[in-house]
Amino acid sequence: MVTLKRESFEVKGLILRGGKDVGGLNVASWRIFKPVVEADKCRRCWLCVMYCPEGAVTEGEQSAIIDLRFCKGCSICANECPAKAIEMVKEE
Amino acid sequence: MVEFDVMAGNKAVAYGVKLSRVEVIPVYPITPQTTIVEYIGNFVANGELKAEYIQAEGEHTAMGMAIGASLGGARTFTASSSHGLAYMHECIAQAPAYRTPIVMAVANRTLGWYWSIGADYSDIMPELNLGWLVLMAESNQECLDTVIQLYRIAEDSRILLPAMLSLDGFYLSYSFEKVLIPEQEAVDEFLPPYVAKYPVDPIVSDIWPASFVPSAPQTTYRRLFEEVLGDAKKVIEDVDAEFGKTFGRDYGGLLEEYRSEGAEAVLVTMGSMTTAARRAVDRLRDEGQRIGLVKLRSLRPFPTEEFRRIAERVDAIGVVDRMVLHGTGGGGAFADLKSALYSLSERPKLLNFIAGMGGEDVPVEDFMVMGKKTLRAVEKNNVEREIEFVEHAPPPSPEPVAVGKKMPIYPASGACAGCGASIILRNILDVLGLNTTIINPPSCSTVNYPSQVAVPWVLANFAAGAGYATGIYRAYRVKGKAGKINVMIFSGDGGTVDIGLQALSGAAERGEPLIWICYDNEAYMNTGAQRSGSTPLFTNTTSTPVGRLLRGKHEQRKNMPLIMAAHRIPYIATASIAYLPDLRRKVKKAAEIAASGRGLAYVHIQQPCATGWYFPEEKTVEVARLAVMTGAWPLLEIEDGKLKINVKLKDLRPIGEYLNLQGRFRHLTGGEVDEIQKEVTHLWDSWLELEKKENLPWY
Repeated sequence: MVTLKRESFEVKGLILRGGKDVGGLNVASWRIFKPVVEADKCRRCWLCVMYCPEGAVTEGEQSAIIDLRFCKGCSICANECPAKAIEMVKEE
Repeated sequence: MVEFDVMAGNKAVAYGVKLSRVEVIPVYPITPQTTIVEYIGNFVANGELKAEYIQAEGEHTAMGMAIGASLGGARTFTASSSHGLAYMHECIAQAPAYRTPIVMAVANRTLGWYWSIGADYSDIMPELNLGWLVLMAESNQECLDTVIQLYRIAEDSRILLPAMLSLDGFYLSYSFEKVLIPEQEAVDEFLPPYVAKYPVDPIVSDIWPASFVPSAPQTTYRRLFEEVLGDAKKVIEDVDAEFGKTFGRDYGGLLEEYRSEGAEAVLVTMGSMTTAARRAVDRLRDEGQRIGLVKLRSLRPFPTEEFRRIAERVDAIGVVDRMVLHGTGGGGAFADLKSALYSLSERPKLLNFIAGMGGEDVPVEDFMVMGKKTLRAVEKNNVEREIEFVEHAPPPSPEPVAVGKKMPIYPASGACAGCGASIILRNILDVLGLNTTIINPPSCSTVNYPSQVAVPWVLANFAAGAGYATGIYRAYRVKGKAGKINVMIFSGDGGTVDIGLQALSGAAERGEPLIWICYDNEAYMNTGAQRSGSTPLFTNTTSTPVGRLLRGKHEQRKNMPLIMAAHRIPYIATASIAYLPDLRRKVKKAAEIAASGRGLAYVHIQQPCATGWYFPEEKTVEVARLAVMTGAWPLLEIEDGKLKINVKLKDLRPIGEYLNLQGRFRHLTGGEVDEIQKEVTHLWDSWLELEKKENLPWY
């Protein structure tokens, strides 16, 4: 989907990939619902970290932390959370 | 009354095939051709077209099937694009000598280099000089009409050659236009049934087309072929004229002149870009410029004499090429035209514009500039620049989001929300780490992840995943790095169980220490969910649609773990995203075994696909879990021949619990669910039996 291109300085016409040209992709605009973690319900099992297709969830001190820049709102985390600690809330 | 509909070019082609009453249709999916065969699949499933419709496991086989069917005496159609067409190449070269009047639609797409799914003629370019007829379409209506015309031309006993219809990917294949649908009776009268003169059929004939002749008459036969292709020009013109009389539409035969009366210069175009060029000519004519247009319809046979007659009337010709003959400096049609005109005593000025490569749009304004430059050559009596590349600046790319550390794969991607393949890839790379090289046959992942990974991601050609990986591993070994870098193939089910199986089998047999990950979404998802060798029984896919006559895929899936076990490789496992600790352990084990150099390690992971299986995206993991709990996806591993079932439930849940979640099984009757249940139970019991053995006996 994203085409990031960098031309080689030594080889004419050769396009390279990697290095600084790769990184996270902001997909916040994809979302219709956003996940909201209720910290006191979180059991810190980190299933959401493993299951998140986007790598948007990380382990926090108290509970899971979701970086909404990388979240498409697929709701797998909410569906799989054994403590029902993630609620999907409609985006404004 | 003539029926009409607003439809994509690919559907227009499918209608042409249906109206031509084609009898055998071997296919294989590739963008932007795929919907042609999907529409045809629907006609067959609903009984609107009575044909043998076969999805092959690769294009090489599909063209083999087409030649076989045509040799057997049946009217035959196939379609492809780009790399698929290139993979057919060997068989394509054979078809003319067998005089098999196959019609093939090519939805043009660039070939090789920097991959794109956009149109240009680099895909048909290598196929042009093998003896096929090649006609270019400008509109969706022309696509439908040309399919019918091509059968008349190709099956004419004066010709009897295969024929290609070239339609521009996206510009025609997926763009909608009003298309008139001729009446079946009228088409039947125009195109009688095909009766093969010399079918390969021992009941009706004891002679058949030869494949081999000694060297001496080979030159003679090349001359004869050139004569036949020359004769084809008149047949193309006659058939187009007769079609015009019958249906009220014709396309100029070999080429069409547009507003060329009194012109001192003409542009030459092919395919869909012609429409924009017509508008440019209109505007230039409004300005009082004496310019016209020639639409080249028959690229093969090339209308040499017709162009010579035009060249005698005009002072300059500007050829617009969506095709570069690399190493010659210019375009394909330009080279053809230049050589066609060389023997004239007085030649017009010739200019070549290379434009629209990789599907780049060529707007009316560009054609106006090209037209003016061609006119200037007349005015100055001089060509300032013979060959010009019409270039535009690329649109800006989004900047990657920095996350402050190097990771094998960075957050988010272009994949669908809730994509199971994303879960698989993130967990695999988390286990394998940064010393990993990924080899990836084309699949959804090719589109979505290369811009997200910090480890090398090498796109392999579809059938050659194991080839690329073997080469990379051997290079590492010769450089003393064997076992230090994970060589991991990340392949879909098509690239593993179908088109990639030959190379995978070779690598397994040679004991190449590679990590093969098959992420199996049980169909060709990147092209819109066509059946694969891994699609389960009765699945509704776009190439095994549920219709009045057909009930989805009618065959069982391949048992890949056992196919791999037949190679006696050291490690085989299946895994599921609902059992991630088990999946991660298996990937780690596979990496250890590959690093030890003992041979190929194969991990086959089921990947529920919300988009292609039709379930809500939050249920991706839930569906995967039910696949394991019902026995539809058993979790097992075979280590040095010892089979172990990793998740063994006391009682399997009824298969309906898994099937009911998915739209691809919505059509199932109770009887069909029972049949699937029987099959799943039978396979599960077979695994239990095998597990009781000390070792798989052949290890």
